[in-house]
Amino acid sequence: MSQARFTRRQVLAGAAATLGALAVGRSAHAKGSVTAAMYPGTWEEAYRAHVVPALKKAHDVDLEMTPLFAVDQIAKVQAARGAPPFDAFVLDPGPRVTGIERALFEKFDAKRLPNLGRLPTGMVDEWGVTVAAQVVGIGYNPKKLPRPKGWTDLLKEPWVSRLGMTGFQTTFGTVSIIEIAKQFGGSETNVEPFFVEIKKVLSKVAAIGAPASMPALFQQGQCDITYTNTQTVATLRGRDVDIEFVKPETGAVAFYTTMHVTRGSKELDNVYKYFDTVISAPVQTALMAPPNNFIPVNRDVKLSRDLPMASLDEMAKYVRHDWSKINPLRAGWIERFNKEVSK
Amino acid sequence: MRPRPAEWQLALPLGLAYAAFFLVPLLLLIVVSGFADEKITTPGLTQWRKFLGDSFTWKVIFDTVKLGALTVVATVLVGYPLALVCLGAGPRVQRVILFVVILPLLTSVVVRTFAWIVILGREGVINHTLLWLGVVPAPLRLLQTEHGLVIALTQIEMPLLLLPLLSVMSRMDPSLRDASAALGASRWRTLFRVTLPLSLPGLVAGCMLVFASATTAFISQFVIGGNRLVYLPLLIWQQSLVVYNWPLASAAALTLLVSVGFGVTAIAAVGRRSRAYAL
Repeated sequence: MSQARFTRRQVLAGAAATLGALAVGRSAHAKGSVTAAMYPGTWEEAYRAHVVPALKKAHDVDLEMTPLFAVDQIAKVQAARGAPPFDAFVLDPGPRVTGIERALFEKFDAKRLPNLGRLPTGMVDEWGVTVAAQVVGIGYNPKKLPRPKGWTDLLKEPWVSRLGMTGFQTTFGTVSIIEIAKQFGGSETNVEPFFVEIKKVLSKVAAIGAPASMPALFQQGQCDITYTNTQTVATLRGRDVDIEFVKPETGAVAFYTTMHVTRGSKELDNVYKYFDTVISAPVQTALMAPPNNFIPVNRDVKLSRDLPMASLDEMAKYVRHDWSKINPLRAGWIERFNKEVSK
Repeated sequence: MRPRPAEWQLALPLGLAYAAFFLVPLLLLIVVSGFADEKITTPGLTQWRKFLGDSFTWKVIFDTVKLGALTVVATVLVGYPLALVCLGAGPRVQRVILFVVILPLLTSVVVRTFAWIVILGREGVINHTLLWLGVVPAPLRLLQTEHGLVIALTQIEMPLLLLPLLSVMSRMDPSLRDASAALGASRWRTLFRVTLPLSLPGLVAGCMLVFASATTAFISQFVIGGNRLVYLPLLIWQQSLVVYNWPLASAAALTLLVSVGFGVTAIAAVGRRSRAYAL
């Protein structure tokens, strides 16, 4: 058998051809497309099923998604320093404030959204548009535990010995701990009472887990009560897990998920088309339906009976937090949480 | 002998890749850790002082190294006998064992880790079996404990021990063990004076890989250990991606690098000493 022999010229030509093909590949996707950061899991699946075809149909724009959690999006754009890896952010309030502080967003021009008039007031500002709401409360297994009334019940028997907790790494974890602290005299900026109270019952707590593993821990019976959002509860119920959502007597917490244009994006037109498609009534209706279970922001959407509110305006009564006050304190809280709960 | 130019040229792509993707990021890490503020504007060693001046950090470093050491011990205790079985088995059984060993590598670490939640959970396979057999009156707490994490890591890291070990063992001359037996050595004596010393290079290489991988296994540590068990990778993740304090995250990352380096060096030293003793 003869051996294949390559001359230096052939190798160099091959390498150049490969690099050239890569370069062509890059420029080919630039036209008529938008790259958006997207939460992995439910969000990505739902957007792939509903937003991608809707955007293609309405504007002939291809949506490419980069699955990243909110904190990862901020870190990635910050590390990219002016060469954004995606055109649009999707963020919770904490990372949103960080993004504003670190100048990672383009100024937002709400007039470019034809569906703007269908959003309740306060859903758009100079930095971005709200695309979904999240309501945080208590999820519990009604077959194993009596119905809890409020946040303080989490630290009492019989609930505490079946409690699954997460720390300050996530938005829902942070706001829930703040609400627990408030019941014991704390505030948005003072979670000390939470640490005092949790220390008394720490050995009884069933699980203190990674946020991403909490649904699995609940499903496996490792814990039977936890603070969580309505979307997670609905998703677990869709998998036949015994779980019910409880609005704490002091009020459920609401926060909004917003989208922003990445600073330096070259796809401004397509980004606004993407945002407008996301907030359009048909897409918001589809995103609300199981198994997606999003809370919509478009007034034209008829709310499903599974949602904890009868109308979007009701959310104004829910507990809200000021993340510009929380963010500077969060690093200290995380450190404290590590020290208090670690064995 | 000095390598011919053509030889070092062949190594050049890998060398350049190492320089670009390992040395440069490592230098960046060192530089970033030398800034005092989160926005990386003022040079200073404030973050290092804060990090290393906290007794909690030292506890976390100790726990991280201990986790690596326990995983190495458990992996060797389970893996070495399996390697011996493989050594003595026919080619068919050897293939089956090798396939079973490699199997975990074929699935994502996330899937393997979540599978361990199902196995170790309160209503998981182990607790179900123990309750059914009447061994325990109530479910044991296996998740979010160090021993639970070591059990899971033992399975997850097993291929890293067995692959180098089996590779070295398969090259051992079987006549040496036969000679040992013919000269009247018991099976145990043959194991400790012939097989073990000859397999030491593979065993040491495997232990190093398991140690380095177990101490840095963020997903497994966080998902199975939860927030109750704090290791260095969790601190790095929190500081870099949740609170964006990159100087502190860099200090933690370099500390992890040094800790793993010490652990690996220690394993290599133990390996050298054991070989000298065995010979």
